[in-house]
Amino acid sequence: MRSLLHALILGLLGAGIVHIVVLFLVPEFSERDAWSRLAMASDLYRMTRLDAEAGGAPVVKSVDPLFYAAACRFDLGDGLVRIRAPGDVPFWSASVYDRNGHNIYSFNDHNANGGKLDAVVLTPAQMIDVRRDLPEDLQGAIFVEAPIEEGIFVVRAFVPDESWKPIVSRFLEQSGCELQDY
Amino acid sequence: MLKNAILTLLSLAIAIGLGGYSVWYALNAQDGVGAIRIGQWTAFPEVGTLAADPYSKARVAREGVLALGQAEGLAFVAERDDAGEPLKRECAYTIEGGYPTARFWTLYAADQSLGVIDTGKPRQSALQSYEVLRQPDNSVVISVGSRPAPGNWLLTGGSGRMYFVLTFYDTPIASSTGLSDVTLPRILKAGCNA
Repeated sequence: MRSLLHALILGLLGAGIVHIVVLFLVPEFSERDAWSRLAMASDLYRMTRLDAEAGGAPVVKSVDPLFYAAACRFDLGDGLVRIRAPGDVPFWSASVYDRNGHNIYSFNDHNANGGKLDAVVLTPAQMIDVRRDLPEDLQGAIFVEAPIEEGIFVVRAFVPDESWKPIVSRFLEQSGCELQDY
Repeated sequence: MLKNAILTLLSLAIAIGLGGYSVWYALNAQDGVGAIRIGQWTAFPEVGTLAADPYSKARVAREGVLALGQAEGLAFVAERDDAGEPLKRECAYTIEGGYPTARFWTLYAADQSLGVIDTGKPRQSALQSYEVLRQPDNSVVISVGSRPAPGNWLLTGGSGRMYFVLTFYDTPIASSTGLSDVTLPRILKAGCNA
């Protein structure tokens, strides 16, 4: 009887340990996180629509129905990445996520130069290099210093009504996500 | 000897079974740590940031969420009306009151997975603040239901559980200091199609 009680208490203690271990391992081994879903949908440095409007099921769920969104994956180990989108939309916002989907930095059209989306994501070390000799065409860009290697850049744009759909779609489809030489 | 082996197996079974199940249960529960409740509305300002607790980090990884950043906006979810009853798709509701400062807001009716409900009609089950009619005191009255209503009408349909998702964009309340004296609209049940 005493050894049964002993085994039960040991089991409960073990359950506590397993609970904590599993909890911390879920983010490490998840194959359903945003990065993995995007990786199945497209390659690095390719803007991919997240909403269902572009056809098929939404890649990443829970996007506001009055919003269109696009995302691209990047690896700062290859160099710095520049995201640009032409045209005017009523509202856009952008976020940089790390490999595990944590929001590192976000900004919106009021933070940008003339409301244009032109951002460069780079590591602090690359920032030091770029500052030494800032290229002419990067003068107006927003610099996002992120202490990460792999990451996701997401652009969200507001669709106030039906008539804005083509304009906002074009805004996202013409947006570029490219490796930048410096 | 055999007794020892059975007891060891028992403790291992309890440890792995209970440990695994409790994580699964905690990750599926809608409520969580770090929630902010205003009336019937709940928001998780820290979800998806590095400051989040381990449970929301695991949930973010498991569900593939890309949460809104602070400069983007903050989403509130309601699953009950002001009387404390769960929201139902077959019922009509009135959402009335003032809204906190934001560039604009959107409101939509959602299903269990917080995606917009499919009404099967061209009209979307969503409204935004640029298109709503306002009262003289700048508050907004929204009628929710499957029948058209004068003023602001949010179309719903079908049956089952329903959630309202109210998202404020480019708003000072997204930084947690702004959340102290925010009031959000009330959700009143107007009637049900039994």
